[in-house]
Amino acid sequence: MARMAGSDELNHIQNSLAGDTEAYAALVKQHQKMVHAVAFRMTGSLADAEDLTQETFLRAFRQLDSFRGEAKFSTWLCKITMNLSLNWRARENRRGDVHAKWAENAISENDSRDQFPDELSRRVQNALNKLPAKQRAAIVLTVYENRSHAEAAKLLNCTEATISWRVFAARQKLKRWLQPILHEQL
Amino acid sequence: MNNSELESALKKAQMPARPEAFWEMFPRRVVNRLNRPPVWDRARRHWLPRLAWGLGMAMCILVAFAIGHWHGRMEKNGAFVLLQNGKMLREVLTLFPNRVRAIVQDERGLQLVLSDQPNVPMSTPLWVKICDGKQCSSLVTFSGQELEIAGQKITVLSDAEGGIILEGNQFVWSSSARNFAQGGLKIEAKRLNSITL
Repeated sequence: MARMAGSDELNHIQNSLAGDTEAYAALVKQHQKMVHAVAFRMTGSLADAEDLTQETFLRAFRQLDSFRGEAKFSTWLCKITMNLSLNWRARENRRGDVHAKWAENAISENDSRDQFPDELSRRVQNALNKLPAKQRAAIVLTVYENRSHAEAAKLLNCTEATISWRVFAARQKLKRWLQPILHEQL
Repeated sequence: MNNSELESALKKAQMPARPEAFWEMFPRRVVNRLNRPPVWDRARRHWLPRLAWGLGMAMCILVAFAIGHWHGRMEKNGAFVLLQNGKMLREVLTLFPNRVRAIVQDERGLQLVLSDQPNVPMSTPLWVKICDGKQCSSLVTFSGQELEIAGQKITVLSDAEGGIILEGNQFVWSSSARNFAQGGLKIEAKRLNSITL
């Protein structure tokens, strides 16, 4: 089991399987920033990223006995995060229909607009948010997580050709949307 | 703009920073969630010893009421009718002011779900019935309460116009747009306007 995991990580996984939550806390500490980064790029919201990160680690703990070590532990976690993020999108869309009338007057606690360090960062995330979720996922994995198209395909349960197409389509849109800010910066 | 310029711009974009204390605390928060039993069990386990007398009294009221006033109708309509009875509800709510999160009737019988603190706001009680196949749960609760019903966490909400919304992990149901209900659940809900506290 866990051939791809380091020895410390392997120990933590085995101890976690035995019910040692402190060992699991060490695994969380090791991977929390990666999981949070993926969740944030997928949702564009710090609050939702936090919820998704927690949910990812809770689900991973419950399913830890299904981790066979054929991939890295980080890859396995990334896959759970992606699945949750994509489902989160679908759920938010459904919920949006019902909650629209309340949302009109509500101040969104999820608004991360004022927390970006600069304008480029804010505009890039806004552009990512506008992409269809599956295209966003392809960009997040290939650009921010430095995954190959083959790895991204495995993580998203699709073919490499599909990933290539999604990346291509996403790039076309991002170029169009980000052209003005890049010109301003030159 | 070519692909490498785009990629460079994407990579230059930073995320909002979290304080280091957040990352220090986060693993502990996850572990706390792992150690925490589901809301339903937690509330029951925490309060059962301390409020055994209270629950006993509440159950006595329910049983006395059931026998004295509703025997005939119970045979006909089932125990779910109990939950819509104003007198019983008022008495339970008076016994546990601002602590009653829900009174649930399901296949296990009648159960009282209490909050740890007296923080349940007074509002019009809401009656909800959820059937998953042949198994039904009926409950009286208040807007904003998150409960575990039919095996999933469901938040019950009401608005000023009298509408009721149920939000679960896998579905959203609204009394004004019932087509949102999913997952084979049959849901009914109404405000118990006649019950004043």
